[in-house]
Amino acid sequence: MHRPSAQEFLLTLLDTLDELPPDLARRFAELLKTEHVDRPAAIRQLFEDIAGD
Amino acid sequence: MHAFRGVPTEMTVDFGKGESTVIYGENGTGKSTIADALEWYFRGEIELLSHEGRQHAVRHVGGDGEGATSVEVLTSGALGGKVLFPDERTPDTFEALRRETFLLRGRTLADFINKSKTEKWKALVEILGLDEIESLREDLQRVRNDLRKASKTAEEEVRVYRRALSSGGDTVSEETVLTNLRQICELLGVEPPQSLNQVAEPSWITSAVGASASVSSSSGRENLAAEIGALKAPDFSKSVFDGWNALVVSDRARQLPRASLVREAKRLFETEAIEAGRCPVCGQKVDQKALARKIESALAEVMEASRDLERFRDPILEQADGLESAYDLRDAIYERVLALDLDIPSVPTRSDTRIHDQVSALAPVDVNAITAFLSEVRRWDKSAAKLAKQISAPEPSERDNQLMMLAALCQQIRAWQQAETKNARAKRAVTLAERVFDAYQQKQKDDLGELLEQISGRVAKFYSALHPGEDLDAVSIEPWTAKGIELAIDFYGSRQRPPHGVLSESHLNSLAIAVFLAMAASFNERLGFLILDDVINSFDVEHRGRLAELLADGFSDWQLIVLTHDQQFFEHLSRRAPSWRKIEFTSWSHASGPRTTKYETSGTLAAARERLDSGDVQGAATKARRALEELLQEVCEALWAPLPFRRGQANDRREIGELFIGLRRTLKERAKVQLQSIEPIFKHLEADVGATLNVAAHASRGRSGASEVKAALERIETLDALWSCPDCRTRVWHKGTPEAARCRCGKSAFPPVAVG
Repeated sequence: MHRPSAQEFLLTLLDTLDELPPDLARRFAELLKTEHVDRPAAIRQLFEDIAGD
Repeated sequence: MHAFRGVPTEMTVDFGKGESTVIYGENGTGKSTIADALEWYFRGEIELLSHEGRQHAVRHVGGDGEGATSVEVLTSGALGGKVLFPDERTPDTFEALRRETFLLRGRTLADFINKSKTEKWKALVEILGLDEIESLREDLQRVRNDLRKASKTAEEEVRVYRRALSSGGDTVSEETVLTNLRQICELLGVEPPQSLNQVAEPSWITSAVGASASVSSSSGRENLAAEIGALKAPDFSKSVFDGWNALVVSDRARQLPRASLVREAKRLFETEAIEAGRCPVCGQKVDQKALARKIESALAEVMEASRDLERFRDPILEQADGLESAYDLRDAIYERVLALDLDIPSVPTRSDTRIHDQVSALAPVDVNAITAFLSEVRRWDKSAAKLAKQISAPEPSERDNQLMMLAALCQQIRAWQQAETKNARAKRAVTLAERVFDAYQQKQKDDLGELLEQISGRVAKFYSALHPGEDLDAVSIEPWTAKGIELAIDFYGSRQRPPHGVLSESHLNSLAIAVFLAMAASFNERLGFLILDDVINSFDVEHRGRLAELLADGFSDWQLIVLTHDQQFFEHLSRRAPSWRKIEFTSWSHASGPRTTKYETSGTLAAARERLDSGDVQGAATKARRALEELLQEVCEALWAPLPFRRGQANDRREIGELFIGLRRTLKERAKVQLQSIEPIFKHLEADVGATLNVAAHASRGRSGASEVKAALERIETLDALWSCPDCRTRVWHKGTPEAARCRCGKSAFPPVAVG
């Protein structure tokens, strides 16, 4: 049984969603590659940045 | 296994090459040590011993301390190896195997099905490796919630501004605000803005108001009063003026008018533009060197006087400028006071123009005139200050109020627009976060649903195999709330979730076994074996048979290791799966550990020989005695030696002397000639048991010599060889019955043909 990583799981999902901001998947991939002390804060910042773009 | 759990020295279990094995043994015969060894090896711990204060029991408790505790596993793949106690492996070692299911024990059989729905969910999340995915879901959820809160705050802020701008309403449009603003501007005679964006610039209000009417009288009075209040007497330093005056009347200063003449003389002299030896002024003959010295001397005096002059000139001119500014400022105030129809004395006559003239003429300055002017200025300032106090600030005019309201409105509009922008951005962020989170959670749910469906199919299949034809159907594992799963079953037409209320203990245990098998079948990737340790305790004969069939038929591709103390189940499984290996544990003793029906005579003899060769005489004696016991028990069993009946494990603990008696009796009846030839060996061996191989006696009487042990060992080997075929190396009772037994090749038999 294939057990996908969280990153793989999310990126597969984002591929299936329509009309997302064009950079979202790439920026999420970069974010998840980095080890964050506070990942929720980094994700929130990502959403806010994209909302402000 | 070495010095591990119930094994004091060493035990090897041969599982063949992937064949399944059924292991039978009564309670306390040490069969679970096998499950413990595999659990310890593949999990890094034994669950039963994982609690505080039990870990030491991994090592055989109270054993002879022979060597380190270890478990070695040989596999067809890459998972084999040897582990020593204490276990130094880190949790990373088990990361890949953490999600594999391989061990089900009777005592923990119902652990999974008895978990709460949340605990089941967590267990499944770990098995499925969803913990990382679940952790990201939790982070996304937290972000969504935080953004919702932020959006709500931004919305509330916007609402406050909207209410303010719409006089209490919740909605306000840019058009309405702009219209209102334009009306106010028109009332005030201010150029109205073209758009709200224009108002957003803070400079707009300044320029718009500044370009309109002049400042009102009230503002003028306040400013005037403030300006009068800030009046300060100009700086005056009398010493500077005294210094200047002293200089300009000194002899040195009288040199200054000659400065240009002396400089010109020097220039002419240096450029040799004058006739040598003659005065450039009168043409008389002069000493050229004396002339040069005179010019240099005069120039030095002039330069020194000039430097003194400069030292005083600048400060005096600065003070003159200060006096001029002081006069101008007061004069302007004077004019504004008059414009307000108020009375104030004239500003004192300024004296600074005379200062500039005197300085230009290198003449003394009238210090008394300046001090008199300053005295008059101070007096004028006092009069002005009194007047300033009299100027009472009247109430702001209506226009002032309207202008202030306009400024406040503009500020409010700017804040509202910023809040709207912030709110819109927060909403976009929330929408995005919600969309990603909802889709993430849905996918997680869908994926899990598919997996549960797959597992449920297997659980139902295995459960039906155990309970065919019963009115219990549609067993499944179902999602229950966002983070829970539960077992469910149809019970006479009603859905029961969880099924504990309607299933008997044995049915629940069947369900637990079905779930265990389904999990392993669904998720195991690296481990191809399953261990079931005493799992049928609550099953009746019929259901034991069904489980045996399920394991034998449904898991023929797996390597199963089934441990049981149930004779019927063992026999049923042995019949149903004739290809399975069988191991029967017969007894366990603290000193020797578990014993099985498989005799270890050859192995024990080899171990004794090995110890003797390595110089361990005592160890060799111990092993030799053990080998003799093993041999006598094997022969007695094979030849049906008449021994007194003993129940249970007591058979394994017969004295060697008792075994000799039984064997002699058998041989006397069925192989008398052979007995006569063997009897000398028997006698020697009986003597060995009392002395050389008497381990207990060694402690008090001194140890046996190597030669004595070697001789005893050779006698045991001789006796052992009597019962094996020299050609095929199998026992003479390999085939047939004890009445007419023979080896595999048939060349050796018992009773021996020659004897018969």
